[in-house]
Amino acid sequence: MKKRWIDLGYIVTLLISLAVALLIGAVILAVTGHDPLKAYGALLGGAFSNARHIGDMLEYAMVLCLCGLACDIGSRVGIFNVGGEGQLLLGAIFAAQIGVWMKGASPYLAIPCAALGAMAVGGFYAFIPGYLKVKQKVNEVITTIMLNTVAVFICQFLAKGPWKNANKNIVAGTENLPSGFWLTKLVPGSNLSTAIIAAAVMTFFVWYILQKTSKGYEMRLTGDNPRFAKYAGLKTDRIVLITMIVSGMMCGLVGMFRVYGAEHIYKSTVSNEYYFEGLMVAMIAQYQPVPTIIISLIFAVLKIGAMGMETAAGVPKQLYLIIQTVVIFCMAAETGIRAGIARAREKRAARQDVKERSKGGVEHA
Amino acid sequence: MEEEIRFSHISMEFPGVLANDDISLSIHRGEVFALVGENGAGKSTLMNILYGINEPTAGELFVRGEKVTTFAPKAAIDRGIGMVHQHFMLVPSFTVAQNIVLGHEPRSAAVLFDNRKAEKVTRELVAEYGLEVDPSAEVRDISVGLQQRVEILKTLYRGAQILILDEPTAVLTPQETDELFEVIRRIVREKNMTVIIITHKLYEVMAISDRVGVMRAGKLIGVKNTCEVDERILASMMVGRPVLFDHLDKKGEPGEVAIQVKDLFVADNRGLPAVRGASFAVRKGEVLGIAAIEGNGQSELLEAITGLRKIEKGSVSVCGQPATGKSPGQIRQMGLSHVPEDRLSTGVDKVASVADNLLMGRHKEKRFNLFGFHQRRSTIDRYAQELYDKFDIRGAGIHIPVGSMSGGNMQKVVVAREFTFDTPALIISQPTRGVDIGAMEFFHTRIIERRNAGAAILLSSADLDEVFRLSDRIITLYEGRITGEFKADEITKEEIGFYMTGSRKEADA
Amino acid sequence: MHNTIWSTIFSAGTFNQMFRSATPVALAALGGLMTEHAGIMNIGMDGMILMGAFVGAVASYFLASAFLGVLAAVLFGVLIGLFFALFTVKLKSDEFIIGCALNTFAMGVTAFLSREIFGLSGTSGYAVPSLPVVRIPLIRSIPFVGDILSGHSVFVYATWVLVLLMWLFVYRTPVGLWIRAAGESPETLRTAGKNPERMKWIASILCGVFCGLAGAHLSLGYLNGSFVEGMSASRGYIAFACVIFAAANPPKAYLAALMFGFFDALGLRLQNYISSDLTGTIPYLITIVMMVYVVVSAQKRRERLARQQLLKLE
Repeated sequence: MKKRWIDLGYIVTLLISLAVALLIGAVILAVTGHDPLKAYGALLGGAFSNARHIGDMLEYAMVLCLCGLACDIGSRVGIFNVGGEGQLLLGAIFAAQIGVWMKGASPYLAIPCAALGAMAVGGFYAFIPGYLKVKQKVNEVITTIMLNTVAVFICQFLAKGPWKNANKNIVAGTENLPSGFWLTKLVPGSNLSTAIIAAAVMTFFVWYILQKTSKGYEMRLTGDNPRFAKYAGLKTDRIVLITMIVSGMMCGLVGMFRVYGAEHIYKSTVSNEYYFEGLMVAMIAQYQPVPTIIISLIFAVLKIGAMGMETAAGVPKQLYLIIQTVVIFCMAAETGIRAGIARAREKRAARQDVKERSKGGVEHA
Repeated sequence: MEEEIRFSHISMEFPGVLANDDISLSIHRGEVFALVGENGAGKSTLMNILYGINEPTAGELFVRGEKVTTFAPKAAIDRGIGMVHQHFMLVPSFTVAQNIVLGHEPRSAAVLFDNRKAEKVTRELVAEYGLEVDPSAEVRDISVGLQQRVEILKTLYRGAQILILDEPTAVLTPQETDELFEVIRRIVREKNMTVIIITHKLYEVMAISDRVGVMRAGKLIGVKNTCEVDERILASMMVGRPVLFDHLDKKGEPGEVAIQVKDLFVADNRGLPAVRGASFAVRKGEVLGIAAIEGNGQSELLEAITGLRKIEKGSVSVCGQPATGKSPGQIRQMGLSHVPEDRLSTGVDKVASVADNLLMGRHKEKRFNLFGFHQRRSTIDRYAQELYDKFDIRGAGIHIPVGSMSGGNMQKVVVAREFTFDTPALIISQPTRGVDIGAMEFFHTRIIERRNAGAAILLSSADLDEVFRLSDRIITLYEGRITGEFKADEITKEEIGFYMTGSRKEADA
Repeated sequence: MHNTIWSTIFSAGTFNQMFRSATPVALAALGGLMTEHAGIMNIGMDGMILMGAFVGAVASYFLASAFLGVLAAVLFGVLIGLFFALFTVKLKSDEFIIGCALNTFAMGVTAFLSREIFGLSGTSGYAVPSLPVVRIPLIRSIPFVGDILSGHSVFVYATWVLVLLMWLFVYRTPVGLWIRAAGESPETLRTAGKNPERMKWIASILCGVFCGLAGAHLSLGYLNGSFVEGMSASRGYIAFACVIFAAANPPKAYLAALMFGFFDALGLRLQNYISSDLTGTIPYLITIVMMVYVVVSAQKRRERLARQQLLKLE
């Protein structure tokens, strides 16, 4: 069980899918008149050419990874948190505003307060669909999608209304975060801050709890077979609800990291559907923590590299979105085809088996 | 009589299961043929072949002398075969008429579905066969008995000459059953149709069929004229296990009450009353067996006691503590373990390893957790291995998923886990379903061991021999009511069958 | 003050805008309700719309005809529907994953190609033929009503016809029945001799076509011949909400789209009084309440049936 992720078949599938996606990307590049090799070279250069890019890349990987893990833990108990984007945005704006309110306070007080506030908001926002799912069996995928849009509206309202920046040029944004509360940059000029240390600790904890503790064990069995878990005496409803809330808290915290580590203000650029990219990372990783970390890094390289590619080779950076989704399509296709072949083989084997048995000449009255 | 259907050396294998094993059988036009057997004997599989849902892995099928080459429901319908499945094949949000004409809709203006004509056709069918039902009602709003009528009307609309009924009475009240049988007699008599009825209720076989075929473990054991047999002969053919068991040594006297059930009412999944006012008690050091034909409320009763199902009325107490309305976890704490009826859906986590399954329920114990949360895998593995050996589980070790094991070994995992809790009260349901005879003896010995050690055991099994062999006392359950209570050694299987089919024992019992 | 609010709310402009905003959403919802009926959870509509909008704009530009643009978007919709069904029906992939990926893919591929073809600033500066505006002869001269109903892009009117046709299709044709049966109870349909997978393919293709239309309307009608990156602006999700809200019934879905359109228009008009962002949340919250209501009332219905049965037994 705990070794499921070192599945050779999975790694081969992932590598082949990546290769196919890059190949399709290359074809698109060639058709649109770019030199694929040059473009991919620029992509790698964009991600690794200097410390600032590496910093941005790691920060983005952190965001993807935490969002992916938030999705992982939900899927572990059989609930699908699609509402991470809303939880993230609300966490970000509340964290930013808490910083504004606490201007002048010690950062050792303000930063934990902001983190707690962001987690509380994110957790509450995940509690709503979680509660509806557990108590009323209302499909959480649909409610979280609706709540995402609601959260976007609420944040816009706050950023344009009561919490608006005094600066007229900022249409929708909170006041700037007092510089005393900024998290220390690990690479000057990049987005990479000490938040990544907290993120690394969180990632470790999520992995540790899922794989090594009795809580993770309870979560896993609840997700696998809720009826069995209930029969065996687990409080499945509570486990699912708490997991959903924790998932929301993680997303809220990502929002706080974005504000305190990178943006230093709440604006809509805090997240551009980052949670959905994290979700895709989690899907490709088949909701396992370690692959989630690795694929986050790969995707972050693609995205930050694509920005470099745009400036260096004039290729629109959206190419990385194409590559990313083709990976998903390839993996889905591979899984589907393999399952289809397995079904056909099983049927054939059964037929063969019966034929041999009847040849054996066993007669029944 | 003319031959309508002939199965010739039909075999059907699903991954890992030989559901039909070389079956040859012919059925005549205008007869009611009953197919009986225990659950999993392969009756439904055989009928699904006739209806084209399954393509047999070997053998040939002839309908009116013609060899069947395409196995698809559509082809079967064209051959005049209709089937009423155990789980109704109806679209809940459609009206009765829409359900009846689905797939063969009357049209107006070439492309449009003509709802009015559909309802008219339905009304005509209703009148012709006397199956009263409102054509414009939505199916999800009508009772189960009416839904079954819709199913029958559907096959008649499609011009069925052969009607297959899969466990038709399982969901019906006695009155509805009588009405159904009246309809069957009428269509056979007036339309010369052929009816095949799958059942495991033997008195129904006697009531309705002309001939009867008995299946057991995928094989056709025999075909008889109904007038030449009685329920006892059929039962022995159906169960037919050679009784080679050693005598079980029961010791000790019953002690205090461990499971007390008072005037219990429980609903089934559809919300219909399944248990209606059951009261009984199980004492320490005795096995109380429930003898009932499937679907008479025993599953719901056990689920209610263990906290898996809501109690509508009445009370349950376990070891003197009130258990009504408590969660399964709380009831376990009071001292109750449970070997559930359906191990795959309830008893195990198929995907999780054998070790993880054996650990369940003990996973919070100190010895398995460092600092109360870090799982000590080596201790867990040692514990799992110990149970694995002790309960003689045979498979590829404790690290493989339980789902990949055979039914018997999976059951050993469940029994190993539940029996090791050493609780004063135990509920055991279908302990040996789908288990080979060797393992069966093993389970029986273990159950009696627990009994002799002073556990109160409530046992339910579809296998009457098993109930008799293990129980000290037996209660019979019919349509959710207790119809009698007996000492196991003071009653015969034949007598008890009387109470399992609805007769009531006088209050003095 | 109150007077002005009410007259602003119930002005002809509000309702005119309501129909305008509702149309692309309603078109997509007509597609979405097909997949919903067929039992496929389709959250990939946003991507389908976006690609439809792009293909419509590009074809209209290069073929110099808005109608050929629409045709191209529809044909492309067929392809997208086939692609979606290939994964969700044939390969049995997770519908949610494929929908999600489709949205992101659309975002990437349209932005990439748009920049390659039109350059960074999109279609502005390119003459993309747009769809004609219809002024209905008699109605246009009626005060108020004329201001609301006349002068829309052809698609606004086409949608009315399509809603009616889809209603007929879903509830009054055999194929419509089969598609609904395929979603609600596929084995029932199979035993009735029809292939539920085939119905899912059909539903998926129809969904692609309608989303293609919605997209073409967006780029060629709604915005008068221009493609903007990400111009679907979550309309796919709104359409999805309409489908859920309307229990996949075409006229009700159109009404739901009008409700979204109304709150959209209201938000714009009431900017001086209340934030449009707050009014914007209302339809989504109503949808969630509706979902809870549907589940709870289904449960009530079951309980009532059980009680009736109980009475009969006693």
